[in-house]
Amino acid sequence: MAEEENSLPILKVNNLTKTFGGLVAVDELSFSVPQGIIYGLIGPNGAGKTTVFNMITRFYKPDSGKVLFQSDQGEVDLLDYRVHEIIDLGVARTFQNIELFNNMTVIENLMAGGHSQLKTNFFQEIFRLPGFKAKEKETRQQALEILDFLGLAGKENQPASSQPYGVQKLLELGRILMAEPEIILLDEPAAGMNDSETNRLAKLLQLIKDEFDITIFLVEHDMSLVMDICQQITAINFGKKICQGSPAEIQASEAVQEAYLGRKEN
Amino acid sequence: MLDSLTDSHPYTKYIVGTLIFMLMILIDLQLNIFASRTINLFIRVVYFSIMALGFNMLLGFAGQISLGHAAYMGLGAYLTAYFSNFMGWNFLLILLLSGLIPMVLGIALGLIALRMERLYLAIATLGLGVTGQMIFQEWRAFTRGFSGIRLDRPEIFGFAFNNSRHFLLLATAILLLVIILTYNFSRSRTGRALSAMRDSEYASQSLGVSLFKYKLLAFAASSFYVGIAGSLYAYAERFVHPSTWGVELSLDMLAMVVIGGLASIGGSIVGAAFLVLVPRITAATPLLAEITNMNYILTGLAMILVIKYLPLGIYNTIDVKLIQPYLIGRSSKEFRYQDLEKQEEG
Repeated sequence: MAEEENSLPILKVNNLTKTFGGLVAVDELSFSVPQGIIYGLIGPNGAGKTTVFNMITRFYKPDSGKVLFQSDQGEVDLLDYRVHEIIDLGVARTFQNIELFNNMTVIENLMAGGHSQLKTNFFQEIFRLPGFKAKEKETRQQALEILDFLGLAGKENQPASSQPYGVQKLLELGRILMAEPEIILLDEPAAGMNDSETNRLAKLLQLIKDEFDITIFLVEHDMSLVMDICQQITAINFGKKICQGSPAEIQASEAVQEAYLGRKEN
Repeated sequence: MLDSLTDSHPYTKYIVGTLIFMLMILIDLQLNIFASRTINLFIRVVYFSIMALGFNMLLGFAGQISLGHAAYMGLGAYLTAYFSNFMGWNFLLILLLSGLIPMVLGIALGLIALRMERLYLAIATLGLGVTGQMIFQEWRAFTRGFSGIRLDRPEIFGFAFNNSRHFLLLATAILLLVIILTYNFSRSRTGRALSAMRDSEYASQSLGVSLFKYKLLAFAASSFYVGIAGSLYAYAERFVHPSTWGVELSLDMLAMVVIGGLASIGGSIVGAAFLVLVPRITAATPLLAEITNMNYILTGLAMILVIKYLPLGIYNTIDVKLIQPYLIGRSSKEFRYQDLEKQEEG
């Protein structure tokens, strides 16, 4: 445990604030995600978890604050980049409501996920110039390997929209693995899954962390999953941090119990 | 032979189909079986196919709409007439410029699309299209206004394509090239980025697809196609008039793509053929011919029926229900055969 706490933070959120009209959704929030662990962000409904994700991944512009990310090029502020540029730094995300490319096949979804990795240009593509075929084949091969890893081999040519909910969730996960990210932000990866699917997901996330060497930062409502796989957790309520620590510390925290269950009456 | 070809390259069906059609016209060149009006009908199908492919790239692949594309096709046609009459340039150069200049202006549509979506985008581009038609009517120095502008059939290296069958062969060869480029484009990083943008702007952006780049690209590419189609129109009809480039033509593009099949090369061609044949069939049918605008009524009806009963479009439905099961059935047989071989070896 101590070793993990000492590891360098890959993502540091400093004094992040976001208001929607009069509502303060995220209020001077600071926390840091150590490299190479599974980190959880929890909080009751409306606590501002997805807003935090949307700010880190540049869908929302924060009112103030910094999002410092340890990339290959050293420490950068993600807020200096546009929404489609952060994938090149190694930051990928999934969405709370699945955002698959429904009119494409399973493998096309994954190959589209490799957009930032595949370097072919327009003229190479339309004239099928040398170099195109090998790169395209490499991407396809990588997609097939990831499908195999997710246990979805054989589904590659099926339409993405015809897949059951659990498979669609996994596909969204596979799609961001194609981008070879450093950190993945998962917005409620277990939402809508049954117990056995959730158990499989837990094992899968551990594997992704270890084998792909990817830091996982997740927002989740399924407390047993969070307590099971996260090494560190930040709990927020009304956009403010109320507690930070190991799962045991979070469970013991009165502030967290109060946020979820209400204040104990004397 | 044909089977092994279609297995190796999925687009071989288009190449083989086009080559058979060209062979048929070559034979007809000797035998004169088709009436010249039938040949003219074929020519219309060919240039409308290029137009529909361009519109499909926008609506089918990229999920963007434009109701002003007729103006871009008109621009291609007028540029061709102008360059051919007053500059006397080479056909291929004129064809290329008639695509490139609308392409540059098409980027303007892309800039609108970055700020508006769906219905609002349709209304804004409609306005732009109407403006374009007005310019064609009024800018007499360039278009000769309502008098229209005449031009000759093209010439390549001294060979004049005055015979309609020769011109049809030329236009079909260009269509084939456009089909191959479109196919290559759709099965590539760029094509996937466009489709990804169509299906989810959020997810595609988070995966590195710049909406700015790819929306502009979609509008530029489709304007290029439509400009080329306009150029072929001018050469085919040998007359360009402002009344051609109205909203009706933009709506025809929409109808072709919806009826034939969205995001489909075959669908674009089937849709173009459908829209060319409907007026011809109504004109030849005794009762229908007496009703004014019967072809618009039938096209509208076809659109409603296709959306309700064949939402994939005519071509895609046939492809999914008939052609693909046949191909998949065959490949699975081959697969079993290979398995048997492996077992025997083992």
